Amino acid sequence: MKKIKYIIKTLLLFSVLSVLFAQNETPPIGSEPKNFNLPPSQTFNLDNGLSVTTVQFGNIPKVTIQIKIRVGNLNEGENEIWLADLTGDLLTEGTEKYSAEQIAEKAAEMGGEVNVSTGLDQTTITGSVLSEFVPDLISLLAEITQRPTFNEKSIDRIKKDLLRSLSIQKSQPQNIANESFSKAIYGDHPYGRMYPTEEMINGFDRAKVVDFYTNNFGAKRTHIFVSGVFNEDEVNNSIKNNFSTWKEGNDIFINVPETKAQKDLIIIDRKDAPQSTLYLGLPVIDPSDPNYIKLSVTNTLLGGYFSSRITTNIREDKGYTYSPRSQISSRYRSAYYLQVADVSTDVTAAALKEIFYEINHLQDEAPTEEELNGVKNYIAGIFVLQNSSPNAIINQLNYVDLHNLNNDYLNTYVKQIYSVTPEEIKETASKYLKDKEMTLVIVGDEAKVKKQLSEYGELKFIE
Amino acid sequence: MRIKTILLSFFSFVLLLFNGCSEPESKFQVPIEYYKLDNGLKVVLSQDKTTPIVTVAVYYNIGFRIEPKDRTGFAHLFEHMMFQGSQNLPKGEFDKLINYNGGILNGSTRFDFTNYFEIMPAHKLETILWAEADRMKGLNVTQENLTNQQGVVVNEVKVNVLNQPYGGFPWLDLPQYANTNWFNSHNFYGDLEDIEAANLTDVKSFFDTYYSPNNAVLVVVGDFETNEAKNFIKKYFENIPSSELPPKPDLKEPKQEQEKFASNVDNLASRPALAFAYHVPERNTPEYFAMGLLNQILVAGNDSKLYQKLVNDKAVTGNVSGGINLLGNMYNYNGPMLWTVYLFHDNSVTSDSIMALVDDAFNEIIENPIDQKTLDRAKVKIRSEFYDEVDSFYGFGKADLLASYALFEDNPNKINSIEDEFKKVTPELIQKTAKEFLRNSNRTVLTIIPNK
Repeated sequence: MKKIKYIIKTLLLFSVLSVLFAQNETPPIGSEPKNFNLPPSQTFNLDNGLSVTTVQFGNIPKVTIQIKIRVGNLNEGENEIWLADLTGDLLTEGTEKYSAEQIAEKAAEMGGEVNVSTGLDQTTITGSVLSEFVPDLISLLAEITQRPTFNEKSIDRIKKDLLRSLSIQKSQPQNIANESFSKAIYGDHPYGRMYPTEEMINGFDRAKVVDFYTNNFGAKRTHIFVSGVFNEDEVNNSIKNNFSTWKEGNDIFINVPETKAQKDLIIIDRKDAPQSTLYLGLPVIDPSDPNYIKLSVTNTLLGGYFSSRITTNIREDKGYTYSPRSQISSRYRSAYYLQVADVSTDVTAAALKEIFYEINHLQDEAPTEEELNGVKNYIAGIFVLQNSSPNAIINQLNYVDLHNLNNDYLNTYVKQIYSVTPEEIKETASKYLKDKEMTLVIVGDEAKVKKQLSEYGELKFIE
Repeated sequence: MRIKTILLSFFSFVLLLFNGCSEPESKFQVPIEYYKLDNGLKVVLSQDKTTPIVTVAVYYNIGFRIEPKDRTGFAHLFEHMMFQGSQNLPKGEFDKLINYNGGILNGSTRFDFTNYFEIMPAHKLETILWAEADRMKGLNVTQENLTNQQGVVVNEVKVNVLNQPYGGFPWLDLPQYANTNWFNSHNFYGDLEDIEAANLTDVKSFFDTYYSPNNAVLVVVGDFETNEAKNFIKKYFENIPSSELPPKPDLKEPKQEQEKFASNVDNLASRPALAFAYHVPERNTPEYFAMGLLNQILVAGNDSKLYQKLVNDKAVTGNVSGGINLLGNMYNYNGPMLWTVYLFHDNSVTSDSIMALVDDAFNEIIENPIDQKTLDRAKVKIRSEFYDEVDSFYGFGKADLLASYALFEDNPNKINSIEDEFKKVTPELIQKTAKEFLRNSNRTVLTIIPNK
């Protein structure tokens, strides 16, 4: 270690000298890295099975509470798509004690809002308020979570909102591509059903909502996260007082999808579209797999950050697109790799050729130590950010909790990142990012896209 | 000695508690050190040792309002060129330098500034300062780099506007209808022909005109040692020559005397949408702060009057959005600005009927003084929202406010008096401001008509 540092210093000295001769300057390397310790968190459980985690963070007098409940689109039946969303939206529409307007006013008086968001695996009820109001927020959140009334008037209104939202979302090319891609990866599993039909939404009623709530909401499925500036005892007591009597409810529902990678090309016509929206990917290992960290580093290097290979190629070199990116998108015990890009229509095939070139190139040749170290430093730097705001900290802790990862996961994360070798990146790309088994969705001008694809003989994927 | 100190602090703690009864709000203060280098570069330092990261932001006093008239979108295209190569960092190397050292970076172009920022592990402060200074000294870009970024920017406009339902709605479209002065009313994302016509001479002349230290502010926020930071800044920025700045054009908007209406057919949209905007009071006047609170009262959050009326009561839409300066916040601009409200609705409801409901809600505010409870709530909301701005994005939010107040008012300390300005607002001032600025003749209404 010491020796390496010495060499770097000599190099630096050398380059400083060369400036005198009007050569290029080299960037100064900075000083010694500072220690970063994860902000300490405390977790406890209530007798009814509810978990609570608190983390003090920062100096701005605000506090964020996120109630994460293991209920989402995963729990919907075949003809109930978005029933979870409707149920979630209704939580803030009235409780035994408060009307919708009163809930909004109460939250506003604390300098905040209460929001509910419905995801595939989890529903999140969030409140962020000035620190002085934290006990009031906890009792308001308890009321919303435990005693919603689901009034008919709000149900009618929110059904109308969902219909409008459905129509608008399905007019956006990225959503059209995403729907088709999810369907290809997950088939009839709830993860593969992004959008309901209008008939489904029209068919929702109070009985269905109450049923869904009763079956899926309860203490055993709930984890409350608190972060920001607050008084620990006050928060703990307040949570105990407000949540101890909540019903236990059902155990967490597990339904892991069976997925199989298979080559597929889906073109969805959008006549005269100036761009083609590309969604390319396949199912991969999920966060509980020991190789997941390697896959995650591989993805970052390939397309997951600004200096990545695919972004450098199709954006910074070719100018085909503005914001290409890749990701590993994970659900409970399931994940997929996805590269997306909106490229000018006339270069659709050319852009695809470059994307496949980069995937194949990484499968054929290990990256240099220099490049891989850069990627590792980047991920380690991002990790600090991912633990440096109340919301970010909650996301991290929830990730570990949702995927049921080792308690040590966050503490050893950076070490694990740094242990990945160039050869392992190459192997990982070959093993998991099999281009011959990927699903490709193109939303764009079908005639123009097809013509290009047929002219690209070397694009074997398409044949 | 030790015991005395403890007693003293205990005593002041008790006092604080008593004060707390009458004034429960804990006042949050941002630490600030502000100075200028000889070449005119403004420097703001704000230490925060919560976490070992540092945010560096350089704001140039050149926004898209004042870009050349035959080159719409050029301020933004130029922003891209700042990543395409400088004296010591060829194309791509700036991004890599930041990413490979564990940081993230970005730039953005707004009404009155173009900014560049990096969020890095704290020990890389010198590295970033060197890099920002390097590109402030001069660019080294080729025709190939320019052509490449013209392609990227054209694709940016396509993905955000041309290939997107409701693409420019309302953030790009409304200023063009509501304003009359070219500087405020042109297409600032740029007409594609203008973007494609830009050449290397434009790039050089734009850089020479606006990208000088005396037209910029450097902000450092986060975990650093003040003396060390000052030394780095002196070392890397002090020798960059200042330049003579062109006079600032007249950005004034004439007073609007008649309500305006505009309508766009959007072939990609599936439902109608409606937006309306009012010219707001001049920045930092008492009415401006009242307008910030009016935004809280009328449109921010589910407790707001418009949400309650349009969503909860009449169910004509699922949400009402809006604010002063949709491309930022009410603090980070410097010139005429709009307060905009927008929503999406169904074909079964006309925009006229929605505007009639809006008129009802606004007339109530114009004709009657606001009740103290609603005003107090608006003040709590804005204080909380202000903290969120300060705290947003790992120090960048704080840097953004400090840069804006340094750049536009030569006074970054203003960040610490904002809370007080809102506190001063009375129900009478709210009503006066509503009367003067929420009149229909100060309004532009834009509707989006879906073509299906």
